[in-house]
Amino acid sequence: MTTTTLRRWFVVHKWTSLICTLFLLVVCVTGLPMLFSEQIWDTFVGDDDPPYEVLPPGTPNTSFDIMVAKARAMFPGQIVTSVNPDDDEPAVLVSMAPSWQALKDDEKYPDRNSGHWIKFDARTAKVLKQSPLPDAPKKPRTWTGIILGTATRLHMNLFAGLPGALFMGVMGALFVASLVSGTVLYGRYMKRLSFGTLRRDRAVRLTWLDLHNLLGTVTLAWALVVGFTGFVNELQTPLFGLWRITDVRQILKPYVGLPEVSQANLSSVQAAFDTAAKAAPGNEVTGLSYPGAPFGSPVHYVLWTHGATPLRGRLFTPVLVDARTGALTGAYPMPWYLRFLEISRPLHFGDYGGLPLKLLWALLDMVVIAVLVSGVVLWAGKRRIATDVRLRALGFDLENVPTPGEAMQ
Amino acid sequence: MNATPPIPPSLSSASRAPVAVWPWPMALGLLTVFGLLSALLGQHGVWLALSWITLSVPLVVTLACLIRAWRRAPSVKGGPS
Repeated sequence: MTTTTLRRWFVVHKWTSLICTLFLLVVCVTGLPMLFSEQIWDTFVGDDDPPYEVLPPGTPNTSFDIMVAKARAMFPGQIVTSVNPDDDEPAVLVSMAPSWQALKDDEKYPDRNSGHWIKFDARTAKVLKQSPLPDAPKKPRTWTGIILGTATRLHMNLFAGLPGALFMGVMGALFVASLVSGTVLYGRYMKRLSFGTLRRDRAVRLTWLDLHNLLGTVTLAWALVVGFTGFVNELQTPLFGLWRITDVRQILKPYVGLPEVSQANLSSVQAAFDTAAKAAPGNEVTGLSYPGAPFGSPVHYVLWTHGATPLRGRLFTPVLVDARTGALTGAYPMPWYLRFLEISRPLHFGDYGGLPLKLLWALLDMVVIAVLVSGVVLWAGKRRIATDVRLRALGFDLENVPTPGEAMQ
Repeated sequence: MNATPPIPPSLSSASRAPVAVWPWPMALGLLTVFGLLSALLGQHGVWLALSWITLSVPLVVTLACLIRAWRRAPSVKGGPS
């Protein structure tokens, strides 16, 4: 490697790191409570839901049609918007609203929420709980909720919606660039040092640099994976948008303009779940949206199915079932870019290997924080020295190029 | 100013022989990737345990290096930077 190349890599590493460090620190710190949000909720908030009835194991679930009929009888004149069986509890959530238009109008008023839900016991179809009425006094927000909410928003988009998410995506890409350039510098710097050397008998600055190198190299692979998958995650809104205006629009084209079917004459919801399960073998059906839902068709149930393993668990395959006849219209696997996005999610969240994996995630995250801090210390310490002098002071061999200091001698 | 005296390149080359830079980082990187994937693809039992063990290795190595440096700590600290 020539001196010019080395100098360029150094400049790339310095600037990519400098720009993204502050945001990376935010992301690393806010990521810690997010990692343990489930445990934090259970410890500090818990849920006040009544316990489930104890029934003999193997009790079959009641048909979704019975729950939907009950919900409609409880709120005559309203529409059902979706039916969602719970992932790990024997419960079914039936969501309702005065009309699709009312839900749409809610977007204009941040305080208004005309949608509501009823929770049923999946086995007995008894009502377990209902969402608080819109005019009910609001429960005060818990500290846990405020802290976790703030951390999540900061982590994802700095409270700035889509522009914030895209900005954080750019920071993620810069982080990856700084990792790559840092690796190149490491290779050059460590030529005459054995791995893991921490010199404490010389300048304090060299101790910091050795520490930066050691911590950076042990977490390199992890940081690359989590940084890159974080970058991909920040692109989710545009990627889903792309899918919506290409494939989804194509699929729904024949039905656009058709009048919305009245909820009085819809085909069976339970049969639609069964049809979807058959149409997407190996997948679990996690929910159903009614005809007329945003981004849906006026005459179809949209059923959401996903794979049953951690790897495939986020790979959704929507299934369209004609709500007039109950016939299957089709199953539509996601395009490659959304599959890639969904597969990259667990690798970013670290939520697929139990609590020990989360703890390791947290420890690696803290080591990365130390890498960032040591990088800032190194930059702040010798800011006014020219690049070449600095490279020499750090023990790099510069070929054929006298440093400004030598040139003056 | 840096407290370390500038060492001429020729001298430093002679005093410290080149070492293989990449075996350790490569090994740690491969262990990390294996750990990340074994839990994702294997899902349970031995694959989860393997994931926890392999992902712990970089942390254990770091700790070992830090402890070693601490033990060898000189009584007189290096000059201020």
